[in-house]
Amino acid sequence: MKIAIAGKGGSGKTTIAGTLARVLADRGQRVVAIDDDSNPNLALTVGAGVAVSGVSGIPRDMLEERTDPEGNKRLELSIPADDFISRFGVPVRDNLTLLIMGQPNHGGSG
Amino acid sequence: MRGVLNGLVAETARTTIVDLEAGLEHLSRGTARHVDTLFIVGEPYFKSLETASRSFALAQDLGIDQIRMVANKVRTPRDEETVREFAGRHGLPLAGVVPFDDAVITADQQGAALIEYQPAAPSVTAIRRLAEEVLSGDGAGRRGR
Repeated sequence: MKIAIAGKGGSGKTTIAGTLARVLADRGQRVVAIDDDSNPNLALTVGAGVAVSGVSGIPRDMLEERTDPEGNKRLELSIPADDFISRFGVPVRDNLTLLIMGQPNHGGSG
Repeated sequence: MRGVLNGLVAETARTTIVDLEAGLEHLSRGTARHVDTLFIVGEPYFKSLETASRSFALAQDLGIDQIRMVANKVRTPRDEETVREFAGRHGLPLAGVVPFDDAVITADQQGAALIEYQPAAPSVTAIRRLAEEVLSGDGAGRRGR
């Protein structure tokens, strides 16, 4: 099950995303909550606290350049997704991991 | 990071919740392809609903399977009616209605997770209902994967 949540800034989308992640994890789902916002604050609403760092410094050997169906070259993972989540994710609860992708210093890049 | 997000969403066996960049402009077609359900969070006032309708059009263009709205910060029956009317007019199913809730603000001020600060808050109860709907497979024609 892959759910994405969109909304204007201030709409409360992050509160809904984080709380939904918690509820699904409590209901026995193994959940990864991914913060893709360039102003990341999902950590607070999932209960991971505020001083949580994001994904940065991905070793080059975990990435490879591929061309997507639209012809754009981009860096993609060359390791299994779950290995990446284990390595860069922040464990919040037994079956809830937080992954912060947004990088405030490079918002919107990539 | 687009390619990385794409790979994560495509491949992980885990239930995945992605809190997107405020608009959908950064959501790549590749990532969208692997999203089963998009929740568009909208508040019951004109500008927010206008943004929701733009997101809805963009999400349809990206080919997301199930696109549904979640109304948030709903204070009055009239608010709810505004959102229902909007959703009905756009053919956008309404997955949930989350009430305006002071607990959200207080939790934030205290630097606490809402669900820990007040697990029985009305907003949390509404999000639990949303989760139940997600878990029930929602009966709205989800395609097998």
